[in-house]
Amino acid sequence: MSLFDKYLAGWRLRTSRPSFEVGSEIDIFIAESNGTSGRAYVGDTELVVEGAGPETIEKQVRVRVTEFDETTASGRGEFVEVVGESSYAE
Amino acid sequence: MSENGAASPGDDPSDQFIGGDNDEGPRVEFYGGRGMSAFPIAFFIVWAIVQTALWRIGDTGGLIVGILVGLILGMFFVRGNWKTYANTIFEGMTQPVAVTAIVAWIWAGMFAQLLQDGGFVGGLVWLADAAGVGATLFPAITFVLAAVFTTGIGTGYGASVAFVGLFFPAGILLGANPVLLFGAILSGAIFGDNLAPVSDTTIVSAVTQDADIGGVVASRFKYIIIAAVVAFTGYIVAGSAMDGLEISGEAQAVFLESSEAIGLVHVIPMLAVIGAAVAGRHIVEAISWGIVIAIAFNLIFGLASLGDIVMFNAPSDAPFAGPLEFLPVLTIVESSDVGVTGSLMSGVAGFFELSILVLLIIGAAQIMIRGGAFEVLLDWSLENLATNVRNAELTMVATAALINSIITINTAAEVAIGPYISKIGERFNLNGYRRANILDGQTAAMGYIFPWSGGVLAGYGAMQTLPEQYEWLDQSMLVTPIDVVPFVFQGWLLVAVFVIAALTGFGREYITDRETEEVARV
Repeated sequence: MSLFDKYLAGWRLRTSRPSFEVGSEIDIFIAESNGTSGRAYVGDTELVVEGAGPETIEKQVRVRVTEFDETTASGRGEFVEVVGESSYAE
Repeated sequence: MSENGAASPGDDPSDQFIGGDNDEGPRVEFYGGRGMSAFPIAFFIVWAIVQTALWRIGDTGGLIVGILVGLILGMFFVRGNWKTYANTIFEGMTQPVAVTAIVAWIWAGMFAQLLQDGGFVGGLVWLADAAGVGATLFPAITFVLAAVFTTGIGTGYGASVAFVGLFFPAGILLGANPVLLFGAILSGAIFGDNLAPVSDTTIVSAVTQDADIGGVVASRFKYIIIAAVVAFTGYIVAGSAMDGLEISGEAQAVFLESSEAIGLVHVIPMLAVIGAAVAGRHIVEAISWGIVIAIAFNLIFGLASLGDIVMFNAPSDAPFAGPLEFLPVLTIVESSDVGVTGSLMSGVAGFFELSILVLLIIGAAQIMIRGGAFEVLLDWSLENLATNVRNAELTMVATAALINSIITINTAAEVAIGPYISKIGERFNLNGYRRANILDGQTAAMGYIFPWSGGVLAGYGAMQTLPEQYEWLDQSMLVTPIDVVPFVFQGWLLVAVFVIAALTGFGREYITDRETEEVARV
């Protein structure tokens, strides 16, 4: 991204419920886990991430989106790998 | 952890989800529960309010004593081994975030002082005069110049002091309203403190949210410029509506006396620092270039001598002082005046106490994190306030504003609240730029509004020396800090812009929209 583009980025009203395409891979933080799958929020969009256990909570993980329903802004995905830590990893 | 407010997919076991409060690491247990681990910080906040708000003592050294006493008293509430408590203080103080900020302040402090001693503010005054700025426009122009100056030097406190010293008497002479003028200076300091790549708060906001400084500056420009355009208009309108003081017409000359165009040459090192920082160079490298260029300009244009920049003041009995006294950086003085002086020294010295204070506050914040009070606060906010992304952003705005309006030194407040903003924002996958901007918008704004805010104290301190310098200026012409509160337009507008941005989604960016660049540059 050029310097000029950096200044122009974000001059818009961004939805609270972003959509994702099935098959795409996204890197997101996992908020919660029930032991076998995790849940992530991107804004108010919810994704259930299969295979994201408690060890992935508050970690940034790569997720392959497998289902997505735009009307409910919710979907499912598969855990691929851990790609990052929280800014305040202790 | 409670269920999030938004609709959830129907077939997932949502009620079994648990949140991430299972961090490894030593735990400190307190008599009275997890909330008691907030005691050192809470004690410090009460101390800071009493000292700075009730008793009007803006002394950073006093705040250091406050946090030390809080840390000592907190130890008596620890259940079990006190060694863990002590080690946790060390753990907090040795976090890279603190050291990074301190290094940047020291570099920025030297740079700022070189520019001030090189007559940069005088050059700006000369320009305002040459452009024929009158009483109505003066506060608005002062706002712009203070904003430019602070954006260059990165320290809003320094800008408050410098601009109150030069622009305040000049504006009063021109017939501008003093309260409005002080508000305009503080507004300019907020603008720069918020936007400058070398600003301590910019750096802390970027580092705590894992974002690169260049990207943070570029992404926050939109919020700041919207607030600034409205604030600028406000100062023009208020400037024509609010009367100035009656001053005998003798001394317009004072305005120009200390102002020379040559000081404007320091726009170049300023631009060099801004350009290098925004282009992504290491902040130490960027400011070092600014320092080198500023020193060169000071010497080449005769704005300051080598001795003004650094001077060794040695006692007469020092063995090698006499033979080397011909050196431009060495002088022999009375034993009571021994020391090292000059721009570099005074630039660094301003940050010593603040550095220690911030290290101790981070130590106390770590106690709060390891003891669980932070989790209690976070869990409560997540469950009761941050129920969806809009409320989460409003919660981030409100808590950052609250903490910053309580703690005098806004950088210290920002360091304490940084992890909390990061946790809430990451939960909703808001990217580092958005988080850093929400955090620093409130930090910059609230640091310059209230009578106990560091920026107001700095400016008010400088103002009190003015009656000694100008015969025509007496104590009654000075601004009482509480009076300026409604006139710090940039501060109030910046908070308003972020409230609207949270409600509408303006400027919102998710991690999936754009990731921050590597933070290792800092």
